[in-house]
Amino acid sequence: MRNQNRPITRRHFIQKSARSAGVLAAGSAAVVASTRRAGAGSAGKEANPFAYDVERLRQTDPKLIHYEQVGRFPTSQPEPHRIAIGPENQVYVAAGNYVSVLDRQGARVNEIALAGSARCVAVAGDGTIYAGLKDHLEVFDRKGQRTAVWESPGKRTWFTGLSVGENDVFAADAGNRVVLRYDKSGKLAGRIAEKNKDRNVPGLIVPSPYLDVELGRDGLVRVNNPGRHRVEGYTAGGDLEFFWGKPSGAIQGFCGCCNPVGLALLPDGRCVTCEKGLPRVKVYSGDGTFECVVAGPESFTENWHKCSPADCTMGGLDAAVDSQQRIYILDLVTGEVRVMAKKKETAATPATKPSA
Amino acid sequence: MDSKPEPNVSRRQFLRDGARAAALTGLGGLLGVVAGRATAKGAVWQIDPQKCVRCGNCATNCVLEQSAVKCVHSFAICGYCQLCTGYFDPEPNDLNTGAENCLCPTSAIKRTFVEDPYYEYTIDEQLCIGCAKCVEGCNRFGNGSLFLQVRHDRCVNCNECAISKVCAGDAFRRVPADQPYLLKTTIHGT
Repeated sequence: MRNQNRPITRRHFIQKSARSAGVLAAGSAAVVASTRRAGAGSAGKEANPFAYDVERLRQTDPKLIHYEQVGRFPTSQPEPHRIAIGPENQVYVAAGNYVSVLDRQGARVNEIALAGSARCVAVAGDGTIYAGLKDHLEVFDRKGQRTAVWESPGKRTWFTGLSVGENDVFAADAGNRVVLRYDKSGKLAGRIAEKNKDRNVPGLIVPSPYLDVELGRDGLVRVNNPGRHRVEGYTAGGDLEFFWGKPSGAIQGFCGCCNPVGLALLPDGRCVTCEKGLPRVKVYSGDGTFECVVAGPESFTENWHKCSPADCTMGGLDAAVDSQQRIYILDLVTGEVRVMAKKKETAATPATKPSA
Repeated sequence: MDSKPEPNVSRRQFLRDGARAAALTGLGGLLGVVAGRATAKGAVWQIDPQKCVRCGNCATNCVLEQSAVKCVHSFAICGYCQLCTGYFDPEPNDLNTGAENCLCPTSAIKRTFVEDPYYEYTIDEQLCIGCAKCVEGCNRFGNGSLFLQVRHDRCVNCNECAISKVCAGDAFRRVPADQPYLLKTTIHGT
């Protein structure tokens, strides 16, 4: 048994004191470190009472989605801008310095090289291809041979949308906030949607280069007016016939600084709209009543993040409709085309009004 | 030739030299600290708008009763949008100044009609609490013209800024007092 009363030596005393001090110091350091870590962790995890909550807008009510994906393929060139459907349901994509011609499964059929970046494309019933570069239009026969180069209308021209009818070509010039009407020979025949008080045309507001135009079977030209968050209908002569659209982040409306950014028309006059920021594709009736969602923001995660204050000219979607009323969605960020067909269970149901 | 033997260093000599070296090191360190403080004398706190993540901590962690951090507006970047996502709730009933449509919890943003369809948005700093809700809305869907700034007419310039300790984006930094504001610019340099 150890003798508890044995006198302690100086050396022993110093040794023991040093040990105790060391243990105490290590313990204190551990406590301080853990407290700091806990403090920092809780500071980061505390819920922000002033959070700007739009998470609910990222998820679409499944009841509102009336379309399902039946195909998906990549475009053959990077930096796609617009998509169009031609005869025999061939897919035309303006991307990079090319107009790519793809079949319905995405296989490359042809590729037409341009002198600059392809901004938009439209295909006539006879297969003639109209390609929009930034400041002028070029015409190609169905085999991809260039047949004409039309003169640039001006310095600020920035073509971003094209549509072709039996006799006319309509070109959306985002730079000059106007839709130009050409005849098939390239002669300028009129200016549409330009601000004009006498004709009661309020004018286009185009904060970023996303102006689109679609010619309907009724002969009226649909133009998106992104700064006013609406779709406008004009006669070929330039008279404003109607407009519809509501600025809102809600599913019925168009959100952000400038939406919709792309249009497509179904044969019965219903309108397919594409948005950026909250990337989504929706269908509206001819008079602008919201009908359903084709694909919501949850389908375009990368696109959601691309459109930012650093560059609001990025991101967005475009759409085209084929003869079987399938909607082809072009994702401008991923460069993919999604083919959407009406769900069977919703094919016969009437328009659905979303809950407010 | 006889070589002189190297003198042995005594313990006392060793300790004396060691103490001298330690004292010199300490003095050098002290001078360094003093020099550093002298340089930082003219520095104030500021938020780097490119790093700010709009976490909301500026509103709740300042030592002042109402935060010295305020929202400011870069009019050169603003799009003067009719639907300003920094001003309106994400799902407004209508685009008017009704409180139910507005995002700001203290109604610190004033909306003024310029011409169809443009509106100007200005910040009332007396009402702004620096919560960054509008900043997030503007950055999420708009041009990002709204941003937060430490306003030096009210900041007391604490040695250890209480907000900087909890800043989620590590956006607080010391800047020269004669250039106390960091302005927001775009990639285009505006």
